[in-house]
Amino acid sequence: MSSPDSKPFFLWRHLNKLRWLSLSIVFLMLILIPFLHLYQTYIAAHAYDLLYPSEKVIYDSMETLTAPFISDPENDLDLLKGTTWSGRLFGLDLSDPLALAGQIAASGKLLWPFVLTALIPIGLTLLLGRFFCGWICPASFLYELNTTLGAWLRNIGLHTGQRRMSRKFKYLVLFVGLLLSPLLGSVAVAAIYPPAIVGREIYYAIALGGFGVGAVFFAATLLFDLLVARRGFCRYLCPGGALYSLLGKFRLLRIQRVVEDCNDCAKCNAVCEFGLDPLRDGFGMECNNCTACIAVCPTDALVFKVTPKDQPDRGPGHLGRQYRRAHNENAEDEHEP
Amino acid sequence: MKRRAFLGYAVAGTAASLLPLATADAAIQQGGQRYLRPPGAPKEDEFLDHCIRCGLCGQACPNRAIKFFGMENGTASLDTPYITPREQACILCMKCGDVCPTGAIPKIPRTAEDVMAKVDMGQARVDETLCLSYQGKTCGVCYRACPLQDIALRVGMLEQPHVSEACVGCGLCERSCIQIPQAIRIIPHHS
Ligand code: SF4
Ligand code: SF4
Ligand code: SF4
Ligand code: SF4
Ligand code: SF4
Repeated sequence: MSSPDSKPFFLWRHLNKLRWLSLSIVFLMLILIPFLHLYQTYIAAHAYDLLYPSEKVIYDSMETLTAPFISDPENDLDLLKGTTWSGRLFGLDLSDPLALAGQIAASGKLLWPFVLTALIPIGLTLLLGRFFCGWICPASFLYELNTTLGAWLRNIGLHTGQRRMSRKFKYLVLFVGLLLSPLLGSVAVAAIYPPAIVGREIYYAIALGGFGVGAVFFAATLLFDLLVARRGFCRYLCPGGALYSLLGKFRLLRIQRVVEDCNDCAKCNAVCEFGLDPLRDGFGMECNNCTACIAVCPTDALVFKVTPKDQPDRGPGHLGRQYRRAHNENAEDEHEP
Repeated sequence: MKRRAFLGYAVAGTAASLLPLATADAAIQQGGQRYLRPPGAPKEDEFLDHCIRCGLCGQACPNRAIKFFGMENGTASLDTPYITPREQACILCMKCGDVCPTGAIPKIPRTAEDVMAKVDMGQARVDETLCLSYQGKTCGVCYRACPLQDIALRVGMLEQPHVSEACVGCGLCERSCIQIPQAIRIIPHHS
């Protein structure tokens, strides 16, 4: 462990914990919102005495939870609805850019009120790249836990999938998904996009009495990640990931390597869920600024920079053996004549 | 070279596997179960390409009338909202249109004029061979359930129900009918 002085901003390495907090909050909200909805329907029915005991528990707990903040739950709670696919966050309507792309592809029309709901997410993606994947996506929350499960399975000697494929597949999925939408006459990407599925299925399970078709698809993606390719769906297949990568190609906020501080330990490459190559400046359009690599870097060589382009590969880290050996040889060369 | 060939197969494979789905769709939509779309929804084609399957309408419905399709109505209908009036009918509160982000369910003010002008989920039809009132047992329950009493649904002699053109198809009459099977049903207007 190196000493913390002369390091960049020391809080950066804790951003990964903040990210987990963010993922957890989003996931818990997706569970809470259907319960709030049920609570609203119980109020609307005006029949507390007729509720089942389990429904009374929901009623009472939701009442306790919300009473300090609102006076008229039947209407006030309408300000908190939906999922990350499209939802109402304390009165602000937000939609996933992929929902907008899919809807435009399916109908060939711009529905302006809907377009407006996607503007803030699009703007943030232009600035921060694929940050949705790392910081918000409820499927990502489960996929990262799935990766941890994979690591445990490997520890006890079981095989998990470590296959590498072409990242370009997901652009094909996005393209085919959007192309099929007008042919099928429906927003096809909604059916294969994990965060939309997770939000929807949690709601179905809590408020409508059971999981739907999407849960089967999502379970299949978990198995794919476990048995075929680590984090494979997000890396190679997710149409949303493809769209954000495209939007975030010239993102302004980027993680970059300070070659002078890097010791070539390669911990960043091992931890990167997206299979990128921070060790050799290979961030590219698919880095989601998740900061997992910052958190593991022992020498704080990974830092945030405001720049629209990655720096080119700057070679071996200056604290690494490879660089030092080359450097010493050069020094000796200079001394020889 | 190899990868290019593989991509080709992938595209062809996707297309081939989706073809039967599309034809199955057409078959299902001809027969199919009887369901209503939420109030104000446009005709079926337009509804399907507007709706992003977000579930917000279901989360807004205070009456829990809105449910979501699995595969039973074809792939195009997957995860879209529908109402089975006999199970739970629409109370015309218009909250679903208020939250729908795309306008697949339009925003309609909750006034009798607006509702009658813009909502057309279907129209009630009475089966006189089943209806108790037509069998001489004065009933009239559906009439009392109708939010557009005397406009959409009138009663004549022995409380026999008569549906008019003004019926918006909310389904509250079908929900309330005391006969089993129900003697009044909503014929959906999907197109
Ligand atoms: S390069 Fe770092 S910040 Fe980017 S995705 Fe990989 S681990 Fe996350
Ligand atoms: S109008 Fe109200 S009761 Fe009818 S489907 Fe919409 S939310 Fe439910
Ligand atoms: S709120 Fe609108 S877009 Fe969302 S599922 Fe309902 S009809 Fe579709
Ligand atoms: S007749 Fe039935 S469906 Fe028509 S408006 Fe009245 S209750 Fe609703
Ligand atoms: S409730 Fe049913 S049985 Fe009674 S009058 Fe209406 S349709 Fe006939």
